[in-house]
Amino acid sequence: MEKKHWQSFGELNNSEAFQQSAKDEFREELPFESADSSFLETKAPRRDFLKYLGFSTAAAAVAASCEVPVKKAIPFANRPEDVVPGVSNFYATTYVQDGDAVSIVAKVRDGRPIKIEGNEMSSITKGGTSARVQASVLDLYDGARLRFPSIDGKEVTFEAMDQAVAAAMNGVSNPVLLTSTVNSPSSLAVIQQFLAKYPSGKHVTYDAVSYSGILLANEANYGKKAIPNYKFDNAKVIVSLGADFLGTWISPVEFAKQYSKGKKLSDTNLEMSKHYHFESVASLTGSNADERFLHRPSETGAVANALLAAVNGGSINISDSKLKAGIEKAAKALLANKGQSLVVAGSNDVNVQIVVNAINEAIQSNGKTIDWSVSNTVRAGIDAEFASLVDAMNAGAVGALMIYGANPVYSWFDQAKVKSGLDKVKVKISFSEKADETTQLCKYVIPSHHYLESWGDAEIKTGHYSFIQPTINPLFKTRQWQDNLLKWSGASVDYAAYVKQFWIAKVGSENAWDKLLQDGVNVVAEANAGAAYNGSPVAGAVAKIAAYKVSTGTELQLYQKVAIGAGQGAANPWLQEMPDPITRATWDNYLIVSPAMAKTLLGIDLTNNGQADSYEVNPPKKVVSIKANGKTIQLPALIIPGTHPSTVGIAVGYGRDAKVGRAAMEDEIKSVGVNAFPLAGMVDGTVSFSVGDVSLTATTEKHPVALTQTHNIYDTPQGNRTEVMKELTLAELKHNPKEVLEEREKELAAYGGVANFKEDGSIYKPIDKPGIKWGMSIDLNACNGCGACVVACSAENNVSVVGKSEVLRFHDMAWLRIDRYYSGDSDNPKVVFQPLMCQHCDNAPCENVCPVAATNHSSEGLNQMTYNRCIGTRYCANNCPYKVRRFNWADYTGADSFANNQSELNDTIHYMNEDLTRMVLNPDVTVRSRGVIEKCSFCVQRLQEGKLKAKKESRPLKTGENNEWDLKVACQQSCPTEAIVFGNVNDSKSAVSVHRGTNNNRLFYSLEQLHVLPNVSYMAKVRNIESEVHEG
Amino acid sequence: MSVKYESQLREPLVYGNKTYHDVTEDIVRPIEAKPSKLWYIGFYISVCLLMFGVYSVYREVTYGIGEWNLNKTIGWGWDITNFVWWVGIGHAGTLISAILLLFRQGWRTGVNRAAEAMTIFAVMCAGQFPIFHMGRVWMAFFVLPYPNSRGPLWVNFNSPLLWDVFAISTYFTVSLLFWYSGLIPDFATVRDRAKTKLRKHLYGIAAFGWTGSTKHWQRHESLSLVLAGLSTPLVLSVHTIVSFDFATSVIPGWHTTIFPPYFVAGAIFSGFAMVQSLMVVVRKVFGLKDYITLGHIEAMNKVIVLTGSIVGIAYLTELFMGWYSQNKYEGYTFWYSRANLFSPYGWSYWGMMACNVLSPQIFWFRKMRRNLFVTFFMSVLVNIGMWFERFVIIVTSIYRDYLPSSWSVYYSPSIWEIGFYLGTFGLFFTCFFLFAKYFPTIAIAEIKYVLKTTGESYKDNMATIEKKQADEFAHEYAH
Repeated sequence: MEKKHWQSFGELNNSEAFQQSAKDEFREELPFESADSSFLETKAPRRDFLKYLGFSTAAAAVAASCEVPVKKAIPFANRPEDVVPGVSNFYATTYVQDGDAVSIVAKVRDGRPIKIEGNEMSSITKGGTSARVQASVLDLYDGARLRFPSIDGKEVTFEAMDQAVAAAMNGVSNPVLLTSTVNSPSSLAVIQQFLAKYPSGKHVTYDAVSYSGILLANEANYGKKAIPNYKFDNAKVIVSLGADFLGTWISPVEFAKQYSKGKKLSDTNLEMSKHYHFESVASLTGSNADERFLHRPSETGAVANALLAAVNGGSINISDSKLKAGIEKAAKALLANKGQSLVVAGSNDVNVQIVVNAINEAIQSNGKTIDWSVSNTVRAGIDAEFASLVDAMNAGAVGALMIYGANPVYSWFDQAKVKSGLDKVKVKISFSEKADETTQLCKYVIPSHHYLESWGDAEIKTGHYSFIQPTINPLFKTRQWQDNLLKWSGASVDYAAYVKQFWIAKVGSENAWDKLLQDGVNVVAEANAGAAYNGSPVAGAVAKIAAYKVSTGTELQLYQKVAIGAGQGAANPWLQEMPDPITRATWDNYLIVSPAMAKTLLGIDLTNNGQADSYEVNPPKKVVSIKANGKTIQLPALIIPGTHPSTVGIAVGYGRDAKVGRAAMEDEIKSVGVNAFPLAGMVDGTVSFSVGDVSLTATTEKHPVALTQTHNIYDTPQGNRTEVMKELTLAELKHNPKEVLEEREKELAAYGGVANFKEDGSIYKPIDKPGIKWGMSIDLNACNGCGACVVACSAENNVSVVGKSEVLRFHDMAWLRIDRYYSGDSDNPKVVFQPLMCQHCDNAPCENVCPVAATNHSSEGLNQMTYNRCIGTRYCANNCPYKVRRFNWADYTGADSFANNQSELNDTIHYMNEDLTRMVLNPDVTVRSRGVIEKCSFCVQRLQEGKLKAKKESRPLKTGENNEWDLKVACQQSCPTEAIVFGNVNDSKSAVSVHRGTNNNRLFYSLEQLHVLPNVSYMAKVRNIESEVHEG
Repeated sequence: MSVKYESQLREPLVYGNKTYHDVTEDIVRPIEAKPSKLWYIGFYISVCLLMFGVYSVYREVTYGIGEWNLNKTIGWGWDITNFVWWVGIGHAGTLISAILLLFRQGWRTGVNRAAEAMTIFAVMCAGQFPIFHMGRVWMAFFVLPYPNSRGPLWVNFNSPLLWDVFAISTYFTVSLLFWYSGLIPDFATVRDRAKTKLRKHLYGIAAFGWTGSTKHWQRHESLSLVLAGLSTPLVLSVHTIVSFDFATSVIPGWHTTIFPPYFVAGAIFSGFAMVQSLMVVVRKVFGLKDYITLGHIEAMNKVIVLTGSIVGIAYLTELFMGWYSQNKYEGYTFWYSRANLFSPYGWSYWGMMACNVLSPQIFWFRKMRRNLFVTFFMSVLVNIGMWFERFVIIVTSIYRDYLPSSWSVYYSPSIWEIGFYLGTFGLFFTCFFLFAKYFPTIAIAEIKYVLKTTGESYKDNMATIEKKQADEFAHEYAH
């Protein structure tokens, strides 16, 4: 018999109760009983509990499932040659825009150009760039670029276009090719070849802001319609009559580099150049001047005449005593430094330029600081030629108009006349990259490549060539404009082949051509004699100027902004968001008024603390109605000292059409700013950007202006904050070279003085930092505030552009900013620029307050930010004395894990988040998501790359030893004046150590007394003022 | 007649000739009766505010902190102002229940329950701000030091914000335990009177099986004392630690060693003001005038004038130090950003001064201390003033700090920032209305404890007993 084993009597007897309980042991149904029965008595055993738990967790997970937006990335099916994923290629090419040309190196990562670096082999810019050069890579990915050839707005093929154009051009009389300045020798040859086919044809050069005055004056004086080669580095005395040569005048990157040479000091070299500036509206160059004098725009001629008279030993007839003294001083300095001084003028008036030529001859500049053997080719347009073209168009005498680069419908003062003229031209062809104001009126539109997609060359100065090679396949159905001309003139080669042939013919072999492309630059020494001076037009010019009526009313001076230029930068979000160096405003143009005029016009007295505060803290500014040359525009007014009390200023380049890009629009209807070109006028055959007798009326309206800095002086009623910034005069420095050091000693006296401050300023012992320690040194004497580094930083580090509405809320994200402070005379202050980024403090106040240790210190001295650890308490930002930390207030980048939360953001952010625009992002740098803090990382991705390079070559890292560099951070690389030096401070031979060592007398750390131990040192600003003694 | 049983100095703590039964009846009546129309209106408004707050927070969490008007210079504004304000309000509850218990202040019995409830609700409200001011609130658990697979990555014990996490969570836990342990005998009373099964069941659960045995009472008393002992340091420590958020920073106006005592005094000041605001209304609406007497109100007004004067001295000390230190950064913050009425935020400083320092001086007058209208008005004024104090400390310090280039544009809150604040009012009052309806708002057991000896009924009782037999009198008198 089988033995029966049982566990209980129930099982043994197999009772009904036992059967039931056995059945219930593993119940099938969920034991949810109705609430009424005895819900409260229900027992939830372990397994039920687990069921509930499982169900509720699953339910909660389903209900709360995060829809993470899917981002597509398409890998290469086959690896392209020369492309190593994650490794950048660098191609030498040239930034060209309307005659401006800067030799650059384009960083191409995975087939996409993402960053522009200066080409250090260039003999002109020597690795320097400008904000606009840096920003130009974003234009490549501009969604507003034209994407295909079109006739009357309808897409056509290139073949159909060629046929249609051939048909239209058949028998056309007097075709005109209208371009902005072309300084490409091969393109000029192409143009000649094309015009050969149309003997009645003509090439007209149009520059939005022309240098007709200089060109014509030089023709009169030197027989050359050219701009000479200026050598600011050879000048010990520089006098500028309103020429903004550091910002916008002729070749600012080159001039900035030259100018900084005369401004750099060391402990052993206290020689620096002296810069006198005469201007009407505060400019970048005027703000850098050692001494600035203000005059009315209508007095420009009188000032030039007076200076000429003074250098010739005559008497001067100027009623304003300050101005008169200034001219006398300048003349004296010029005479004392004959052959080592330079006078330049920004005026477009031929007579003024003739007088300036006469002054330069009198002080023997020719051949020394002005080199006539080489000429600048960046501008060639003559206003009168364009004016006569407009007349011819209106007369119906132009059969066809082909346009590249020129946009007169926007930038010519008499736009109505250009438009009516265009109406009368039968065949209108535009090669513009974008549907700009002029292109919109053209029937045939054949968009050209962006320069990064192009082939070409540029002769920046005679004999100085720079080459253009494509860095990416054309993104759209575009064709280089030279190709059109070649095709239409019946040539069999395309332009790429044409350039190659053109240069092989010059340099001999294909290998040599390859070398040119690799270097990007070439200098051909041309035996070119200087120019002989002919002084005969001077007397006439002086007489004409003497007859000018000096206005007594309010005058208007139109100017170009460093970032926006004549409107070229208006559609570029990086440039729009770059704060103007002088006004610190973004995303707008405005009326610049002096503090004196603010009192009468706006009723704002900046010497009254209450009114000044109220003006500062409230972004809406009073709108003023401006009537000039019969036209009226309305703009908000900003009070900018350094502006003549009877003069107002307006920047051109704004008020663009919606089709040039979404960044040019403030909202769907309104453009960013207002176009000020119509306020200009034609005077004596040249366009004059100064307008006399304008009438200003303050309206009751207000318009918000997005300023990134609202307070401008570091002196407070409770004391001058000299720990922030140190500036002094050359006289003081010479009198006491240790002045800065002594001031530091005084500030730190309570904590052991400069020598022991590190140890004695804290109860903790300093930590040894062996190995690499990164540090930066910024020479405030070399920095001119141009802003190239600001844009370079944005490009390198994927810094978000947040648009006007966010900047207005003080939400700008810039990792690097250039603070601008005023001191001295409140009407005509001294200006100092201070680039400020994370100071990577050794004793960082941000680090110890983060509850989750998301920001901490690396062993190499970096204050690093761990984005995925950051929970966004913003405590670090509050506790940062430099206020360099930036918070992601909204989903600026689309990197957020929450979908669909960008709906309320402005169009700029949407635009920056488009797939096309995002191609500019640097894959080496994390795109930060909403809710985290970010800040300058000292370009840690570059540091890693540089360290790896040294490691692979088994040698110590080089940061400037013998000018050899394994790495340069983005701001440093972009700087045209080499004001920023970066490297390993533990290496005594590194550039930064040398810089600090040789400038020990000027060295200071901002807010040093806080004992945060910053790793960015500054060299005090020194002004070449002999007589004045610094107050305070 | 029976003057000999009446103190010439102290007022009775309970008015009316109450018996134990009367006490129970009076206090439990609101729980058992249907709420009044007024209650419904109040509750409805509170829930609406709460919902608005929930929506405001939803927006901020979904769209980002950019929904608020903070900026690159002003990283904290209304969020942390409200946090500190609510935490401060909570302090009166702890002070009343813990410190006054240890000091055997019998008068606390009338108000301690509601004050403790207020503490708990206020801390709940306060907690919302540091949590939801985070840019990535879904990562808020990073502040907890738990073993993890990230290295392990630990929290930063140097950060005052982390100290806050510990301080606030400890404070909340201890306050909740203290409050609840006091509620247990009262819940048992409500349970025993319950007429429906559900009510009996729920209050039964809440009463933890309280039977009123001597052993229960003995343990209850011990627990109360232990918790009181634990809470007492918290009264001082919590706001001290909150003040460290500012005091340990480098920002002029924050970096101030005076902060810990000054914050604690301010917290008690605002806490008592909030208790006053609530009690004046509760005693009226629920007819508890006999338990929350003018004597209570007067006592609390005395605390208000004391602590108000302490903060006043602290303000003046700061101003003095701003000048005496000859530190230009401190000087600017205290003498320009704050004390200058015509600077952008000068109004907030003088609003604070008027509300916190000048106006409470009215309580030097007994008549004013015992005037309900004045008390209520003043209590609201003090809480506005204390809100301004936190706003002044936070915003006027950072909006213009070291670098003049970073000085901020004018900061005013967005609708969602205000909404969040209103939402915490909604949360507070929703909780408070529910508390007032379902919980005994006055500690029944503790009132009974003081009733015999310090209630108004005492003298009548004694007079009656006096006429009885001597041993009976002796027995009564001994108790």
